[in-house]
Amino acid sequence: MKRKQATLTTEILLLIASFLFLFPVLYLLMMSFKHPGIFYKPLKFPDRLYLDYYRQTLNVELLRSLNNTVLVTIGGLGLTILVASMAGYMLSRRKERLFRWTFFLIVTGLIIPSIGALIPLFKLMVHLQLINTRTALVLLYTASHIPFATFLYSAFTKSVPRELEEAAHIDGCGMFRMYWSIIFPLLLPATGTFILTNVYGLWNDFLTPLIFLNSPEKMTLMPMIVRYMFNEQSINMGPVFAISVLAATPLVVLFVFTQKYMLKGLVVGSVKG
Amino acid sequence: MDLSRKQYFAGLLFVLPALAIFLLFFYLPILQSFYYSTMRWDGMGKPAYIGLDNFRYLWEDPRMKNGLLNSLKVVAFGIVVQNPLALTAAVLLNRKFRTKAWIRTSFYLPVVISLVVASVVWGQLLQYEGFINQLLRQIGLDAIAEDWLGTIRTAFPTIIALSQWQAIGYCAVIYLAGLQAIPPDMYEAAEMEGAEGFKLFRYVTFPLLMPSVSIVMFLTVVGGLKLFELPYLLTNGGPGTSSYTLFMAIYSSAFREGNYGYAIAGSVVLTAMIIIVSTIQLRITRRREVEL
Repeated sequence: MKRKQATLTTEILLLIASFLFLFPVLYLLMMSFKHPGIFYKPLKFPDRLYLDYYRQTLNVELLRSLNNTVLVTIGGLGLTILVASMAGYMLSRRKERLFRWTFFLIVTGLIIPSIGALIPLFKLMVHLQLINTRTALVLLYTASHIPFATFLYSAFTKSVPRELEEAAHIDGCGMFRMYWSIIFPLLLPATGTFILTNVYGLWNDFLTPLIFLNSPEKMTLMPMIVRYMFNEQSINMGPVFAISVLAATPLVVLFVFTQKYMLKGLVVGSVKG
Repeated sequence: MDLSRKQYFAGLLFVLPALAIFLLFFYLPILQSFYYSTMRWDGMGKPAYIGLDNFRYLWEDPRMKNGLLNSLKVVAFGIVVQNPLALTAAVLLNRKFRTKAWIRTSFYLPVVISLVVASVVWGQLLQYEGFINQLLRQIGLDAIAEDWLGTIRTAFPTIIALSQWQAIGYCAVIYLAGLQAIPPDMYEAAEMEGAEGFKLFRYVTFPLLMPSVSIVMFLTVVGGLKLFELPYLLTNGGPGTSSYTLFMAIYSSAFREGNYGYAIAGSVVLTAMIIIVSTIQLRITRRREVEL
């Protein structure tokens, strides 16, 4: 589209707004470096680099939570990609009634909220002896992301030429091998879009671990921050800010380096959808 | 078995894992929730059938009533205020200027920050002796300084305002993607016909942007009705029940008090509301979408 050149006033207004949007992030960073003497003097800037809060929080417990968060995030994204890419591909290719209905059933999950299912899910997980396991989180993340991922993969499949499959078929290639060695690599843009739009929600999730996990060894980062917040509120919030910075940093870095692709993915998604 | 049948069954095998996980951990519990919503059930013992009593109790519970009212306020605010703001932001961000990369990044950055971390920062900024009030006093606006999250009148409006910190950037980026998908020749054609300025926006940009409007409105409605983390962490629903949301009330009845049947009835109402409101909204916006 023909882009209008912004006037200087617009640009200055936007710059002020952008500073207001960034301010809480800067404040978060600042608070994690303020020594106890000035911690509760909100208008004071940190006068030296005080690293004690980080030293206090960098312990086994934090690494364990980080490890759990990485595990459930990768597990959830990975399992979703594994099952939903196959389903999305096949549901876009085959036109028989059974496949059309299945596609419809899965896509209704985009509109029906999973919130209503939470309490029966809790009982189901108790029943399956999966309560307080990271497996439960991976399964729940997968189930709730299947509708979007299936939809996305089926939209991208339309741009993969069928001739490839026919050629592979003549070469005597089995369906599964054909899919994983030829089709799946071609669907990489869909995989990228899916990861970049969903990694944040999984990493930052607080509600699911709050309900389905209870032992500290299994805890992910977000509920751990909350536990710190309510435990040490009366003494000093410094460590809470330090952990918050550490927990947010990987995503901020990821975002800064991939934002171009994310916008592109959204454009593609909106055109194909 | 001939080839096409073999392929048909192989096709089913491709779909089966996703379908199984989806049905077991998504549809089954939703269907169960309808059953349990008519039961008195503490989660342990045998559920006892009590008809629609759970739904009747919902109307007598101040937390549920306040929660419902607050959730509807969030949705109304999302549609009337948040949406136009996000659209304006997107239109401006779509222009050319020197500091574009910086401005875009800072508008969207809050979205990748978790609600937990956001609550840590905002909880501190908004304390009675916190940054915002001190700043207000510093510039002589003592009268406005307020215990933002601890006063019935301001607690929930403050939470709605805080939700905008992430919602604006989130919605704006979807609008931005929609704006960039509009082919430039549409504008050239319209300009040749003599359209300019606001007319260009009203008759070209806006109709072509309608699919994005549908998506953003849908996400706004669903997101608004699901609001949980901010009130849970910042006010715990208080003071009194003034900042409860429907979802928070459901959470408390289930996981704090063990009233599972009752909480499930609440979540059935919430689910129904989300489906009804978003269907109406999609009907209205979808009808206005135009094909290129």
